[in-house]
Amino acid sequence: MFSLSSAYVTLEVKLGLKVTGRCALTFKTVSGTFFYQMEQDIRQFLGNLQPEFNLIWRTSTDSYGYMWIVFEGKRIEDLLAGLTTVGDIVEERGFSDQLLAAVFEFSSEREEGRRKLQYLIYNYKRNKFYPFVPTAEKAIDAEQQMKMMATIAEEIPFERDMTLWYPLWDLPLRSLG
Amino acid sequence: MFTKKQPWQKRDTGLTARMIISFAVLTIIYIIFLSVLAYVGVSAIAIAVIAGIMILAQWYFSDKIVLWSTGAKVVSREQFPELHDLIERIVARNNLSKPRVAVINTRIPNAFATGKTPRSSIVAVTTGLMDQLDAEELEGVIAHELAHIKNRDVLVLTLASLFSMMAWYLMRFGMFGGMYGGQGRRGNEGSGAMLLILLVAIITWIVSFLIIRAISRYREYVADRDGALITGKPSKLASALLKISGTMKRIPTRDLREVEGMNAFFIIPAISGDALTSLFSTHPPVAQRVKKLMEMEAAMS
Repeated sequence: MFSLSSAYVTLEVKLGLKVTGRCALTFKTVSGTFFYQMEQDIRQFLGNLQPEFNLIWRTSTDSYGYMWIVFEGKRIEDLLAGLTTVGDIVEERGFSDQLLAAVFEFSSEREEGRRKLQYLIYNYKRNKFYPFVPTAEKAIDAEQQMKMMATIAEEIPFERDMTLWYPLWDLPLRSLG
Repeated sequence: MFTKKQPWQKRDTGLTARMIISFAVLTIIYIIFLSVLAYVGVSAIAIAVIAGIMILAQWYFSDKIVLWSTGAKVVSREQFPELHDLIERIVARNNLSKPRVAVINTRIPNAFATGKTPRSSIVAVTTGLMDQLDAEELEGVIAHELAHIKNRDVLVLTLASLFSMMAWYLMRFGMFGGMYGGQGRRGNEGSGAMLLILLVAIITWIVSFLIIRAISRYREYVADRDGALITGKPSKLASALLKISGTMKRIPTRDLREVEGMNAFFIIPAISGDALTSLFSTHPPVAQRVKKLMEMEAAMS
């Protein structure tokens, strides 16, 4: 996943896509003591973020039963570090099967008026990135997704099989500030 | 005969059938004619020359053959004024000769160019293409086809196949000529050698087939680049390619959280014949072409 720390520059230079500083990790919740303990570990980590990682965070659970940990920060290195540490905690506690995806948010400044938000989703089960550009009507902007692929597919582990580019609708990445 | 056309996902059975028929008929004519000559005892060199002449004749009539086999009809300015206008604009700005304009009535988006020389060539588009692309995308596709004409790609590929076919016939019949020789077969002592010759001929043909495919793919990249230089909008050709190849329709809309339970999706890798099909394909993969065009776009801005 750390390959993103250089690839995001390419996205900005070639497509005008800027990191918004918001990203998230999501995993499926299960009931039980062990899972609860893992959650506590994560909360402890999150509570002690400052000053080492300059991040703010929020957690939520969605209607599918997935927990989301949303980070917001200025530096991509901090975001990546936060995400991977949480991911590590989940794995150490034996719940790597529950890890679904990490999401990175970008905004396009080329559009006049409203900024358009675009995403890179990292699929933990395939260990690959793929693009996600939702449009207002709960559809996808396939052309823009292909452009994202064309731009950075060589720099990061990229999901070439487009039939696996499953969207994540209603991302809980609203501004935390 | 060679046409430069864009790939498409769905099969247009009428078009495919006609192209197969015309290709098969030509091949059979060659084989019968040249076999007869060999049997009768015409020398190998003469056969190669005759094969060459036949291919040149094929080239000479190529546009009529292509128009027939694709169902394309040449159209006048009155019939398709906007199309003619679009082509004229590109042609005027870039010092090219205006080709004849043809249209194929089908919903499947496609385009091709063919022609003996830049001055007597044809650009054809389908009605489906004109419907599905916006003006700039259509312009990109037409510029790509005009680049094929300008680069004389039809001639280049015909020549490549000419030499390979001559080499093949020389090989086959040159050796056989010695055997048949007008005196009848020589018997067993020849058959081992015959087998070897046949093997060599087959290998030669396969290798030249693959080489021709590779040349064709390379010329596609060149036409992409030259077409983009003509319009100055490489990303528009890229998006046209994506639309034409139906690539974008395969992206799912179901939420990842819904399908996550189906582990099969993620464990079994999608079997892709990509490596093999790319060797045989006349066109490079769409993703590669889009990537190069996006690189051009980035370099231009």
